[in-house]
Amino acid sequence: MIAVNIIVLSVSNSRYQSYGPGRIAISLISPFQEAVSRSIRFVKDIWVHYFFLVETAKENDNYKKALSHAVERNNLYKELKLSNIRLRSLLDFQKIITDKVIAAEVIGKDPSPWFKTIMINKGKDDGVKKGAAVVIPEGIVGQVAEVSLHNSKVLLIIDHNSAVDALVQRNRARGIIKGGFADRCFFKYVLRKKGVAVGDTVVSSGLDGVFLKGLPVGRVSAVVKPNSGIFQEVTVTPCVNFEKLEEVLVVLNLKKHKFQSEQ
Amino acid sequence: MTYCLHVGICICLVLLQTTIMPYFHLFDRFYDLLSPFVIYLSLFHSLRQSIPVILFFGIVMDSLSGGPFGLYLTAYVWLFVGVRWIITFLHVGDSFLLPFIVAAGVLLQNFIFIGTIAMFEPGAQFLSAAISTVTIQVLWAMFTGPIFLIFFNYSHKRWNSWLKKVVVKEN
Repeated sequence: MIAVNIIVLSVSNSRYQSYGPGRIAISLISPFQEAVSRSIRFVKDIWVHYFFLVETAKENDNYKKALSHAVERNNLYKELKLSNIRLRSLLDFQKIITDKVIAAEVIGKDPSPWFKTIMINKGKDDGVKKGAAVVIPEGIVGQVAEVSLHNSKVLLIIDHNSAVDALVQRNRARGIIKGGFADRCFFKYVLRKKGVAVGDTVVSSGLDGVFLKGLPVGRVSAVVKPNSGIFQEVTVTPCVNFEKLEEVLVVLNLKKHKFQSEQ
Repeated sequence: MTYCLHVGICICLVLLQTTIMPYFHLFDRFYDLLSPFVIYLSLFHSLRQSIPVILFFGIVMDSLSGGPFGLYLTAYVWLFVGVRWIITFLHVGDSFLLPFIVAAGVLLQNFIFIGTIAMFEPGAQFLSAAISTVTIQVLWAMFTGPIFLIFFNYSHKRWNSWLKKVVVKEN
């Protein structure tokens, strides 16, 4: 029996072909096979796309967190870069000014829209005195109005209580820069006969004993010559953008200026 | 303890007004946040509870502002007196009237400020700027003022219930 069986097997192995009953069996079984394999694939898909997705979702959350940290760091670097540029500009400006200056940060603004002051983080302990000039490379910011131990209040040139002795850079026409409203200044007491044009640069005259001579104040934005009177009405837009003010320089050696003004 | 809550709220409002809000251009011409608080004090608190806080924060605001010293103090005291006078004949606990009360308070404060500027700076040219600023502030006050009042009242109630719980626990 064993020998017969081996012979039959060797014959069928050497001449492989499908017979009728084999085909029927295949066609009977294959749909089930397909169904089962599809089911397995379906379950596998569910496993891969759903249960595995939980892991993926977790991974995604981690990536999102990492991304947000990276974005935060990036913003910090950007902020540092901008701060660096500003401070470098202040440093360069500091070299130009021969007087002793100290850099300060703006920490607060006036609570009222009617008055224009800022608070800075330097005070009496840092050598700041009342009346000291506050400047930035773009131009004049204002004057220290009040000093406490570690903070000072700065009266901006756009406040209506502020006054700066100034002149037009082009033709040296002199006047007083007074604060106005809507972040504008008025260039008062400019003689009518002096030709002032829109776009002219107004600089400090240095005669008030507070600000250095030649510091930019603003640009003439409107000129009105009334029918009567000896003065013309000149409106000046300040060089400094007071909305974006973050760091300033306080000129410390006021005595020298006082001496100059007394002279 | 109520003083502590009031001082805490006022400090938060001052910080919000002087350090955070200037970064948003939307709030460039927002009204003084302490005025709804003064109105809240005059509406819902006694004289003894209100006056010290008003005086203290009037001085604080005067120190922070570039205006003449005493201006905020004056404005707050008048605001307090005005609202106290109004509640003698108007039932302002009604939430319908709250927007108008805050708006009127902001208007009064602005009149005091403008009057002072006009008094000290007779030639100041600010009429058009003043009209637009006051209008915007009053509109802001009408829409957001009652929210502040409700928030202050709610905080006070929560604070009181928390205090009661603490006292009961200690006993």
